[in-house]
Amino acid sequence: MIEKGKISAFQLALMMNPTIFATALLLVPAITAKHAEQDLWLSPIWAAISGLLTVYISCKLNKFYPEKSLIQYSEQILGKIAGKILGLIFLLYFLHLNGIIVREYGEFVVGTFLNTTPMNVVMGSMLLVCALAVYGGIEAIGRSSQIIVPVVSLLFLVMTLLLVKDLDPKKLLPVMENGIMPSFMGSIVPSAWFSEFILMAFVLPLLKDSGKAMKWGVLSVLSVMFLLVITNLSTYMLLGKLTIKDTYPVMVAVRYISIADFLEHLEAIVMAIWVSGTFIKISMFYYSTVLGMAQWLSLSDYRPIVLPIGFLILVLGHWAAPNLQSLAHFLGTSGAFYMLTLQLGIPVVLLCIAWIQQKFQQKKDGGQ
Amino acid sequence: MKEPIQKPGTNPSSLSLQDSLSANLQTNEQFFQSVYHNCADVVYRHFSIAGKMKALLIYIEGMSNIEEMDKSVLSPLMQQTPAELENLHAIMEQSITVSSIKENKTFAEVAEQISTGNPVILVDQYSIAISVGLSKWEKRAIEEPLSESVVRGSREGFTETIAVNTSLLRRRIKSPQLKMISMNIGRQTQTKVIVAYMDGLADTTLVEEAKSRLQRIQIDGILESGYIEEFIEDHPYSPFPQILNTERPDVAAANLLEGRIVILVDGTPFVIIVPTSLYSLLQASEDYYQRFMIGTLIRWLRYGFLVMALLLPSGYVAVLTYHQEMVPTTLLLSFAKSRELIPFPALVEALIMEITFEALREAGIRLPKQVGSAVSIVGALVIGQAAVSAGLVSAPMVMVVAITGIASFTIPRYNAAIAIRMLRFPIMLLAGTLGLLGIMLGLIAIIVHLSTVRSFGLPYLSPMGPMRASEMKDVMFRAPWWALRKRPRLTGDYNQNRQPPGQKPDPSKGTE
Repeated sequence: MIEKGKISAFQLALMMNPTIFATALLLVPAITAKHAEQDLWLSPIWAAISGLLTVYISCKLNKFYPEKSLIQYSEQILGKIAGKILGLIFLLYFLHLNGIIVREYGEFVVGTFLNTTPMNVVMGSMLLVCALAVYGGIEAIGRSSQIIVPVVSLLFLVMTLLLVKDLDPKKLLPVMENGIMPSFMGSIVPSAWFSEFILMAFVLPLLKDSGKAMKWGVLSVLSVMFLLVITNLSTYMLLGKLTIKDTYPVMVAVRYISIADFLEHLEAIVMAIWVSGTFIKISMFYYSTVLGMAQWLSLSDYRPIVLPIGFLILVLGHWAAPNLQSLAHFLGTSGAFYMLTLQLGIPVVLLCIAWIQQKFQQKKDGGQ
Repeated sequence: MKEPIQKPGTNPSSLSLQDSLSANLQTNEQFFQSVYHNCADVVYRHFSIAGKMKALLIYIEGMSNIEEMDKSVLSPLMQQTPAELENLHAIMEQSITVSSIKENKTFAEVAEQISTGNPVILVDQYSIAISVGLSKWEKRAIEEPLSESVVRGSREGFTETIAVNTSLLRRRIKSPQLKMISMNIGRQTQTKVIVAYMDGLADTTLVEEAKSRLQRIQIDGILESGYIEEFIEDHPYSPFPQILNTERPDVAAANLLEGRIVILVDGTPFVIIVPTSLYSLLQASEDYYQRFMIGTLIRWLRYGFLVMALLLPSGYVAVLTYHQEMVPTTLLLSFAKSRELIPFPALVEALIMEITFEALREAGIRLPKQVGSAVSIVGALVIGQAAVSAGLVSAPMVMVVAITGIASFTIPRYNAAIAIRMLRFPIMLLAGTLGLLGIMLGLIAIIVHLSTVRSFGLPYLSPMGPMRASEMKDVMFRAPWWALRKRPRLTGDYNQNRQPPGQKPDPSKGTE
């Protein structure tokens, strides 16, 4: 094994939660509201189905090949050459996706806080910190998320509570005015986010208690769903149809908070949530890419390729899109299908083939 | 230096320390004289047992109890009647009235006994030497530990003498399960080091690991337990201390009872304790002696001020430089007013003040007590009113530095506070360049680093990362003693239960 560290299923659940939620928190309300309008709070519930499906697939594949990651068993399922090609596709995809995530982070920070700081400095400094975590291995990421995630969740809940007095539940009426379809349409993009749970396929072989993986994976999906429903509800109850107009509706919502003329301008809290959540998200993708690459190249240690891959991510982040608008447009339209194909579609196909192979194998064994 | 007169027998210059003693008294004496050449404090006293057997007494002045030596060794031996002279063994058994005597066979053993202060008797015709346990030297009395004072709790502190220190531990834990393994480290100093642990509570692999790490040390001298700490820690380049040190016997005993290992070093009142987690560096012994509610509150106060000690100056710099909109308007106006005449940017101002403060603190520690008051007067002027009225720093900055200073004094362990003090400066630079984002990145980097650190196999952030829910009650709170049923899990499996359940006090339980 290239990675010697072991984590628990609970740690995995804590790592996966911000992996989905951190970026979704800021971008999903606007994208969902575009289609679903006042039913936007239903969309995460539909979207969670894809998350559950991904968790199921990665756990099942892990049952078939307990010691192996996505990159390793695609070689076994599809054969040497086709498997290597698929592995490369996955790795390039994760590199690209991580570039997009880093860019989202950079756009947000530069757009709302550090308007004159060069984007590459913002992205590069974050990648350096993530590289430190990847160097530390899966245990370091697992433990730091155990420190970070509870604090971040607490901050998020406090922030929502402070908003309560400005919320207007009437804005949500009428529920399902145009049937179920709008909320369904709104759920496509969040589904793509939820399918990022496929990262579990890289980490599952490193679990101490793989028996609990399914349970904690499902709980992690449900917790993300719960947090997204709260986010969508509170932003829409506050902003109404204005949710669509802004790229970061949550930021706008937080600016509303004003208690006793003292608790004002809590954007810093959003930034704290966003930065620390994105740190875990980028580290997870970064780590999976590095580990997968080491497995794909049959290296004995993944550490030498941490910094080169970090640099690639930075470059891809720079190239991901010309500006924020086209990035948001990509994420809101074709990006969803791009992500769903690789994160859900191909794993489903892999699982089917693996399942059929297993059946044949059993028949053969039975016949002999 | 060379003795020209040689008796028949072994040539002393051809002998080495590893050889066995010779049966010839003169050869032995010559050898020791060459070993302790130019050592004016070594005393050789010739005498004869019962006027017949020639004997020699060797000891080092000031390290042995001379009166006791005269009374219980020399006079009985010299007044022996010749008829009773059968063999040395019997003489020793019958006439030396000292509780501890030992037979030594090699030169090395004898030299070690002499160096530790035990007088040695060599007798002609016998190739053994008798050492008498009469070592005694001036030592400091047991005093109140200066570095860890308490309002409630034991006033005893460890001293420089290891035998006193082990007795202080033994007096608290009377069980024979308290084991102490002794070894000598240091080629020249031969410093006695004792590994103490509770048999059945401490993980045996942990004890073995500690012993083997100690045995690997090769150095000429150990003068303080800090030497050993740097040789046996897991991450030498981490700013965080991975080993706890204390001069309180009650802290050492409490850690022994939690299954940790205490390493005592001769010559220093500071014992070191492994393994350690970050949270035990933030706990004081008194948390457990006062009632649990105030213990819990004090812990939270400490956590809060730990964050302040690390982040307050950098937060101030970041907010004033990049995020002015976060400050309520009236406060911002008063900040602006006080900073109007200041020539420096906030970062430079903060760095000047923090560095001055660190310098003052260092000066205050090193100076003799008589000069100390002068430092505090000058210090109050430098980072106080004078600096503000001279227009060099703003009044809020003085407040920030003062609160940061107080905050770092709330951390009960000096070495943990040092780590925080060191890390404050890079974070200030990050705050000055990237604002709050820089602080977040610095904080995340510290958390990631802490997640990779282990102390003798124990993750540094445990029980929070990896999380152990049952132990959180000793980190998030200080649970009352009747609820602290289980010992913390360190590295292995062992006896977990501290006390039986159901001991919550309740008047209805009694018979009244």
